[in-house]
Amino acid sequence: MSLEEATVLRNKVKTKAATTKTITSDFVQYKHLDFLSNDIESSGKLAFKAPNKVKWEYISPFAYSILFKDDKLFIDDGGNKSNMDLGSNKVFKQLSQLIAASISGDMFIAEEFNMEYFKENDGYLVHFSPKDAQFSEFIKAFHITFSQQGEVMEVKMIEPSDDYTHIIFSNRIENQSIPDAVFAQ
Amino acid sequence: MGYAESPSNKSSIINPYFSDASRDYVYKAYISAFSNYFGGILVVKKINEQEHRVVFTTEMGNTIFDFSFRDSDFTVNRIIDQLDKQLLINVLEKDFRALIKERLLAEDVYNKVNDEIAKVQIDKKPYFYTFENSRLTTITRIGNQKEKVVFEFSEINDDLAEKITIIHKNINLKIELTSI
Repeated sequence: MSLEEATVLRNKVKTKAATTKTITSDFVQYKHLDFLSNDIESSGKLAFKAPNKVKWEYISPFAYSILFKDDKLFIDDGGNKSNMDLGSNKVFKQLSQLIAASISGDMFIAEEFNMEYFKENDGYLVHFSPKDAQFSEFIKAFHITFSQQGEVMEVKMIEPSDDYTHIIFSNRIENQSIPDAVFAQ
Repeated sequence: MGYAESPSNKSSIINPYFSDASRDYVYKAYISAFSNYFGGILVVKKINEQEHRVVFTTEMGNTIFDFSFRDSDFTVNRIIDQLDKQLLINVLEKDFRALIKERLLAEDVYNKVNDEIAKVQIDKKPYFYTFENSRLTTITRIGNQKEKVVFEFSEINDDLAEKITIIHKNINLKIELTSI
C-alpha cells in the first residue's frame, strides 16, 4: 500500500473513531494453539462508550465479562467478581487502552507501534507491532482488518509463540445510546 | 476400614481422562489461591504416548503458562513474569503430573464391595487412586499420614471428566475445572 493510501486509511479511521460515541457488536473468538486439533471457540457481545468504557462479555460456552472503566478492570467470572487497579500494572493498563482503541481502530500511535499496511479484497489490513519490550512479551502484533469505511472487522492478537486469538465482529451498531447499567460493575 | 488387601498386587491402573490424543481437553478454570481469585482456560493435549502439553490462558487468549510433560521430564515453555516463582511452578508441576499421568503401577490394591483403592508412587510420593465401580473418582496425595492434595473427578461421560476439582489441604489453593 502506498504512503498516500495509508494516510487516507488512517484519516478515515481517525474520523470514524472521533464520530463514534458508542458501539455494540457481537463477536466470535477463535483461540489458536498450534498443538490443538481445533481452535477454541467462544462468543459474546461487546459494548463501547467513548472515550474508554468497554464491556467485553462472553456468553458461550461460559459466562465471563470484563469491564474496563475509570482505569480499573472489573471481572465477573460466572458470578465470581473481582477487580484490579490498572494504575498499578502497566501492561494491563496498556492492554485495556489497546482494547478500547482496537474497537474503534484508532491505534495509529507512532510512538507505540511499528505499522505495516496491506490492501485486502474489500478493505485493509494493518499490522501493529508494539515497540515496548515489556508489552511485546505478551503480544507480538495486532493484525486489524478494516472495512472500506474504516470500521474494525477483525482483530488478531499474535503471541510471541505465534499462537493467536482471532476475533471476528458482526452486527455492529454505532451511536445508539447504551444504558448505563451495561457498564455498571 | 473394611478394605481387604487384594492378592493381585503390582497391578497396572489407568487414568483415562487425558489419554485420547485425538481429543482437545479444554476446561474453564476457577482458581482461588490465598484469598485471591482468578479464572482462565486450561488446555491439556496428549501430544504422543510420552508427552502432554498443559497450557493456561486468560479468557481473552493470553498465555499465562505453557508446560510440557515428557515421561519424567518437565519443561516450562512459557510463564508470565508475575508467576515465575520456583515454589509455585513446583506445585503446578506436581499437580498436573498427577492429573495427566495415564499408566501407573499399583504397589498395593485394597478392595471393598464395588470400590478399589490403589496405592502408587509418583516422583517418590504416595498417591491413592480410588475407583468406584471401576471408574476413577479420586486421586489423593498423602504426606506425613495426612491428605495433602485431593483430585476429584465427576460428571464422567465417555472417559471425559466434565468436572475436576483439585483441593490443597496444606495450602490455601483450590482449582475447579469445568469442561467446555
